[in-house]
Amino acid sequence: MNNSTELKVEIKRMMVENLMLKSGAEEIADDQPLFGPGSLGLDSVDALQLVVALDKNYGLKIPDPETARKTLQSVNTIAAALEAHAGK
Amino acid sequence: MKEHLQETPPPRVILITGANGGLGRATSRAFLQESPANLIWLGVHTRREHADQLAQENPDRCFCATLDVTRPGSWKQAVAEILARHRRLDVLVNNAGSHEDALLATMTTDSWQRVLATNLDGVFHGCQAVLPTMISQRHGRIVNVASLSALLAPPGQANYAAAKAGVVALTSSLAKEVARIGITVNAICPGFVETGVLAVMGEEERKRALGIIPMRRFGRPEEIAAAVCFLACAGSGYITGSALKIDGGIF
Repeated sequence: MNNSTELKVEIKRMMVENLMLKSGAEEIADDQPLFGPGSLGLDSVDALQLVVALDKNYGLKIPDPETARKTLQSVNTIAAALEAHAGK
Repeated sequence: MKEHLQETPPPRVILITGANGGLGRATSRAFLQESPANLIWLGVHTRREHADQLAQENPDRCFCATLDVTRPGSWKQAVAEILARHRRLDVLVNNAGSHEDALLATMTTDSWQRVLATNLDGVFHGCQAVLPTMISQRHGRIVNVASLSALLAPPGQANYAAAKAGVVALTSSLAKEVARIGITVNAICPGFVETGVLAVMGEEERKRALGIIPMRRFGRPEEIAAAVCFLACAGSGYITGSALKIDGGIF
C-alpha cells in the first residue's frame, strides 16, 4: 500500500469516526462525491466537523467556504489538499 | 487505591465572561461549589478587582483571562491560553453585557453600536471561538445570558432588548446546528436581579419594579447562577435551544 492509499484509508476512517457514519470506511470510494445527489449524503454540519477534524489531525486550515467546497468534494480531493499541505 | 482514583471526577474547564460583575461572580462561585473538578476561567476586561480576588482565593481552580468580548482576536488569545493549560474547554458562559438606556429618538448611534457589540457580537465571537474545540471534543455546553428584556422589550432599552432578543435567536439557531455533535446551547432570561445594575435604581423605581414581580422580591445572583450550572451540567444534556426565564413570575 503506497502513502497516498494509506492516507485515503486514514481519511475514510476519520470520516466514519467523526461523522458517525453508518457505512464502514471500506465502503467509501475514493472518488465518491461527499455532498449532493448520489453522494455519501453529508451535509453542512458534517462539513463543519470535517473542517475541524482536518485542522486538528493534520493542521490543514480551511479558511473559507469556497476552499471548503473545493477541498471536501471527495476523499481524493481531501487527500490532494493534505498532500499539498504536507509538501509546503 | 484504584477505587479512590475512580471516584475523582474528570476536570471540567469552564469559561465565564463578565466574571467581575455580580452575576459573573455568583456563577463562578456556584461552579466552584458544584464540583472540586471544575476549573474556572474568569474572563475580565475593563474591571477585574473582584475576579482577581476570587482567583487569589482559589489559586488552583480559578484563573483570570483578559478578554474583550467584542474582539475576535481577544477571544482567540484567551481560548488558546486555556487550551495550552488544560487541552479542553467544556463550558462557555457568555455573561458579559452592558446597557446604556435611552429613548430611541434620542439614542446615539454610538450607544446603539456599543450595546449591540458587547451583548450580541460578543456572544457570536465567543461561540465561534470555542466551537472548533467543542466540535473536536464532541461535547460542550454554551450558556448565553440574555435577559427578560428580550421578551418584554421595555421602553428605553431598544438597544439592549434588541441585542438580548438577538442572543435568544442566535441560541436557538446555533443549538440546532450543533445538537448532533453533543453540544448544547441555551439561554437564560433573568428579570430583576440584585446586582450592581439594580443598586443604582432609585427607591421609587425599585418600588415600581417590585410591583410587577409576582414574587414581590428581586432575584438573587445565586438563583441565576444555579440555573446556569444546571444548564451546564451533564444531566441537562437533552435541553438545547431553550431560553429559560428566571424572573419571579413576571412573564
